Amino acid sequence: MLATSGSLLVPQFLKAFENRSLPDTSDKILIILQLSGGNDGLNTVVPYRNDLYYQARPTLGITKEKIISVSDELGFNPALAPFRELYDQGHLTVINNVGYPNPDRSHFRSMDIWQTASQSNEYLSTGWIGRYLDSSCEQCGAHTAVEIDDSLSLVMRGESIKGMAIKDPAKLYQATQTPFFKKVSEGHSDEPTLNYLYKTMAETVSNAKYIYDKSHVLHSTIEYPNSEFAKRLKTIAELIQSGIQTKVYYASLSGFDTHVRQAGQQERLLTMYSEAVSTLVKDLKASGNFDRSMIMTFSEFGRRVEENASGGTDHGTANNLFLVGGKLKKPGFYNETPNLTTLDQGDLIYDIDFRQVYATLLKNWLGADDRIILSQGFQSLGLV
Amino acid sequence: MMKISIPQSKVKNLMYRGAFGLRLQGAASDEKQLFKESEKILPLQSIEKPAVDLEDWRAMKSDSSKKQMMKDLLGKSRQNLMKLNAAWMDKMIQEPSLRERMTFFWHGHFACRTLVPYFAQQQNNTLRTFGLDSFRELLMAISKDPAMLQFLNNQQNRKDHPNENFAREVMELFTLGRGNYSEQDVKEAARAFTGWGFNFQGDYQFRPRQHDMGAKSFCGATKNYTGEQVIEAILDDPKTARFITGKLYRYFVSDASAIDPVIDDWAKGFYHSGYNIEKLLQVIFQSEAFNNPSNIGTRIKSPIELLIGLQLHTGGKFDNPQSLVFLQRALGQILFYPPNVSGWPMGKAWIDSTSLAFRIGLPQLLFGGAETDFEASDDGDANGLGKIPEGKRRLHCNVDWSAIAARFTKSDADSTQAMAEDFLLARPASSDNRNYIARLAAGSPNETEFIKKIFIGYMALPDYQMC
Repeated sequence: MLATSGSLLVPQFLKAFENRSLPDTSDKILIILQLSGGNDGLNTVVPYRNDLYYQARPTLGITKEKIISVSDELGFNPALAPFRELYDQGHLTVINNVGYPNPDRSHFRSMDIWQTASQSNEYLSTGWIGRYLDSSCEQCGAHTAVEIDDSLSLVMRGESIKGMAIKDPAKLYQATQTPFFKKVSEGHSDEPTLNYLYKTMAETVSNAKYIYDKSHVLHSTIEYPNSEFAKRLKTIAELIQSGIQTKVYYASLSGFDTHVRQAGQQERLLTMYSEAVSTLVKDLKASGNFDRSMIMTFSEFGRRVEENASGGTDHGTANNLFLVGGKLKKPGFYNETPNLTTLDQGDLIYDIDFRQVYATLLKNWLGADDRIILSQGFQSLGLV
Repeated sequence: MMKISIPQSKVKNLMYRGAFGLRLQGAASDEKQLFKESEKILPLQSIEKPAVDLEDWRAMKSDSSKKQMMKDLLGKSRQNLMKLNAAWMDKMIQEPSLRERMTFFWHGHFACRTLVPYFAQQQNNTLRTFGLDSFRELLMAISKDPAMLQFLNNQQNRKDHPNENFAREVMELFTLGRGNYSEQDVKEAARAFTGWGFNFQGDYQFRPRQHDMGAKSFCGATKNYTGEQVIEAILDDPKTARFITGKLYRYFVSDASAIDPVIDDWAKGFYHSGYNIEKLLQVIFQSEAFNNPSNIGTRIKSPIELLIGLQLHTGGKFDNPQSLVFLQRALGQILFYPPNVSGWPMGKAWIDSTSLAFRIGLPQLLFGGAETDFEASDDGDANGLGKIPEGKRRLHCNVDWSAIAARFTKSDADSTQAMAEDFLLARPASSDNRNYIARLAAGSPNETEFIKKIFIGYMALPDYQMC
């Protein structure tokens, strides 16, 4: 009796995939990259014609000669060299001055706000991608949203459906295919909360097997840079190529909290970031998946306009946000350069709410109900 | 103390909810002991009072000549917060009393982060001192607590530049709850709290020159409110009693089922007792709702509860005390690092595919010699806990299995297993799982190996995640 009830718990979606051999390339994919610690946006996309920038950054300012200029006003940090090509090909949209009202300058609080898409004085226990799962995919499994990590971030947690954290499909597979794990996962309970645990276990066993079976035979032929972050993006590329039904991927790169000696550290991190992303793009193009992919990069806040006394910058507010994809409607710079004249306590004032970006991606890219997920309507930006 | 009586069969539930579960060491307690053993208050004394006045950290940050001093302080502070974390974990394991349980409850209710370890310890001791007594006194003490004033920016709340953070959270999260006050109330309360600050010795300080002496309209009355009077007015509102009682219901009785209407009576009693927490808990523990079998074993253990429970059940000691900090990070609940001012979420929020797989594998990791290469994600804060170094690690926890065997071994294997099951699980296991564990342990060379396999088997069941 228990054995049959165990198999009843195998999610419906698996049956739908058994016959599927080729990826459905019309399905849109969203890849979210989080730069943790607060990336200094002003030294990432530099207003190199603005004297105020150089006045505020006497030692940290990046000189005009070094800038990769892409417009009359803005240029990239030299560490973003691979983005030049993306920009020229129309595969990059830069949105300036993204933020939210009453910004919070604490890392963990601001990251909470970005991950839950809450107001700055509101505490939510579900993330915006989690709520996307809740609202759009009753029948689909946890692997619809995959975070390449050992633990699952708040952003991926919905009320009834949560995404999956997988750093290495083979390891998760091994951990869940032990005789003990498999045997116990066949159980159930009359107590609803305990039964939820059994159900989660059973789904983990089948999801892990499904992902492993699909992905372990396929290896990317593109060579990735030798960094942990690049390795994670490679995992994403391989999962996409394997044709698994994942709509959202999430990966993080940390170390952007540059209070001291920013120049070297940010350059190292941005190099790691841009090389990994451009390799991912190459890989997605090669496998014919680029047109259905959208890569969004954000950080929990930008940094103070004025540099500090330690060769670094302190926590700020509004920041730039990148979209990389094969089907961008507004490539290049979406909006005006940051206003360095009118500041709020030394910080940039936002003019695009980050939830407008989310709403646009949810509605126009993933075809989801952004109003339900974000609990209010936000004006679409027509980006995708 | 009021005499209470609870049937013996419900004692296990009482121990899980009111303390941290059954204990290998010391006889299983009963309801009288639960309150009795909480009478003494032993503060945490892991961190010394700062010898020098730390001045304002903000000022230190912008002064480059103090850069190195600042850096050293932050490094030391991180170390000391981990030391404090380990000291409190140890205390909860050594004294798994109702008082510690309530200290932990209030630690999540009055959720707060500080970089000053002495402040963190001081706040923790305040929660311990008042946690079972009067919520009135507890609220007043926490409202004047340096860590809280700092966390909620009240040091910046001045007459000419009010900062509403403290006033808002006191009402939204600590007392009345959302929807039970107006935006105007927040503004006016913030004015009443202007000038409430602290020094870096950890003393509350009122700064009269920063205090707004003008008339304030708060909750329907207009007068020259002081901060204390605002707190009193909040406590005079029965909605505060209702809010706290509701939270205690979800914590102790059920976080899944609908709230029992009986809590309206509990809240009234709480209010009229002058917010006596101990009396309210006695009412809860004796109630039909608390002892109803449909609510027993329905609560998912938080990571801290799981970690403490594993040690109480086995009497285990970690080879490396830092293992406990690593495990808190891996499981997603770090003492003194709540996710935000609203505290840790409860129930199913702890469970996803990955966290459940980690929990299921935990007994093998602790007691079975398995290794992990788990890495906790970095929160990005340069002053935060940082990245966990890569590579495999052992988290070995030493258990005297022969002593457990001596206590649990009965004349036949089934009875031994039954006793272990009753000790380890809040509800009986399914016969299927019981038989499976029996098969895994069968053929053990001796009683010690047998009981070890039985224990690890039960502790790796999803059922062990429940209390």
